[in-house]
Amino acid sequence: MNLFCIRYHLPVILLFCLLFSWPGGPLTAVAEAENPSEAGEMDPEYLEFLEEFEEEEEAEETLQVADPLYYWNKSMYYFNDRLYFWVLKPVARGYQFVTPQPVRTGFKNFFTNLTTPVRFVNCLLQGKSEAAGVELGRFMVNTTFGGLGFFNLARLEPSLQEIPDDEDLGQTLAVYGIGNGFYIVWPVLGPSTLRDTLGTLGDGFLDPVAYVDPTAAAAGIRAFEQVNGLTFRLGDYETLKDSAIEPYEAIRNAYIQNRQKKIKE
Amino acid sequence: MKKIISVLITLTLFLAMPAYAEKSKPLDDLKGPLEQGIAILKDPEYTSNREEQREKIWELVQKMFDFKAIAIRALARNWRGFSPEQQDEFTVVFTELLKNTYLDKIQGQFHDEEVVFEDQDMLSEDKAVVETKVIRQGNVEIPIIYSMHFKDTDQIWQVYDVNIEGVSLVKNYRNQFKSILDKDSPEDLIKRIREKNVKHEQDRKNQ
Repeated sequence: MNLFCIRYHLPVILLFCLLFSWPGGPLTAVAEAENPSEAGEMDPEYLEFLEEFEEEEEAEETLQVADPLYYWNKSMYYFNDRLYFWVLKPVARGYQFVTPQPVRTGFKNFFTNLTTPVRFVNCLLQGKSEAAGVELGRFMVNTTFGGLGFFNLARLEPSLQEIPDDEDLGQTLAVYGIGNGFYIVWPVLGPSTLRDTLGTLGDGFLDPVAYVDPTAAAAGIRAFEQVNGLTFRLGDYETLKDSAIEPYEAIRNAYIQNRQKKIKE
Repeated sequence: MKKIISVLITLTLFLAMPAYAEKSKPLDDLKGPLEQGIAILKDPEYTSNREEQREKIWELVQKMFDFKAIAIRALARNWRGFSPEQQDEFTVVFTELLKNTYLDKIQGQFHDEEVVFEDQDMLSEDKAVVETKVIRQGNVEIPIIYSMHFKDTDQIWQVYDVNIEGVSLVKNYRNQFKSILDKDSPEDLIKRIREKNVKHEQDRKNQ
């Protein structure tokens, strides 16, 4: 991961992002087929229901995302799926088996604490000064008394108990009015959009792990963070996939819905 | 004078009471069966009899969820393009799909998870959302919001959508079904769901 390289490319990416995300821009339009409908006979109770959400559906167009890289994305989806079942899941299970839960929670806290600068700055960029204050307070308490963040001691202080919602640069850009652009699935990193990718790159400047040298060590730390985090979410990906008729579409939609919620918060 | 007023107030309250007492509260209609379900999941009696546990939980789930409403909402606009037979068939297979996935999930994964009921928000006379949180080991919190409506026929509040970490179940299916129905017929969709159900059933039997 060569950050300096990215720095040079940022203006180009930004331009790209704007081009794709401009509301009503050439590439953001999503085709919508109109289905002329005729009312069948049905329960009045449900009929009322049907009419109601047809309105609701109109408002839902924002949940659509353009997918011009469909074929690339779909192959990356398959790649990540294999990576999960063949590598990540077995490794996470083995690690979970040999590592007691308090230790894993400690590492999870540690990594959460480490990325405080990212959340702090983005809280400020979104004008959430109160949340920024809580982030800063938590960081100070947990880094010192909480042993570099392994222990979440901030929970003992009533004003720091409530953990603020996660903020990142992708959300900040969204708050500034920049759209998703288009959907993109990265190998290993998973689902994202053009805007959120740009956000992740920007946030990288505030993430201490990105400055670890050599790069291989940084990658190792990242991998460990991922595996450790995964032990708390094992089975969730399987449920989402198993419940879906079109898993690729289900995951794309879930990503967009989840981001939408975070942006609103 | 005072007496008359107090009598009047009491009378008014008395008359007004039944109107409120009649209707149950969404939170209660959800909380009751949900807690019964958790008790069944934790009951050691069922550790060797998973099928019976499954059926017991399913009975409760059927009381809590309005599967027809979920089916209609998932198809949205396309619902009207289905013949009445197809609508019924779709409702049956889709309900089966939800049953399979979610019962597997809670039966397989529910270790020491805890459900906290946070809030109940009345959106209107017969619509409400109930906010809950599932707390997993290691203090991992997962917000789950249930959208509920009051069913006049059963005089009970039932769930018509579940929102997990911002992802609405109904909207997620709606998006999938729409993309399938843009290309294929209602019959094809029903067939695909049915195939998935058969596969789920086989996987479960093989466990």
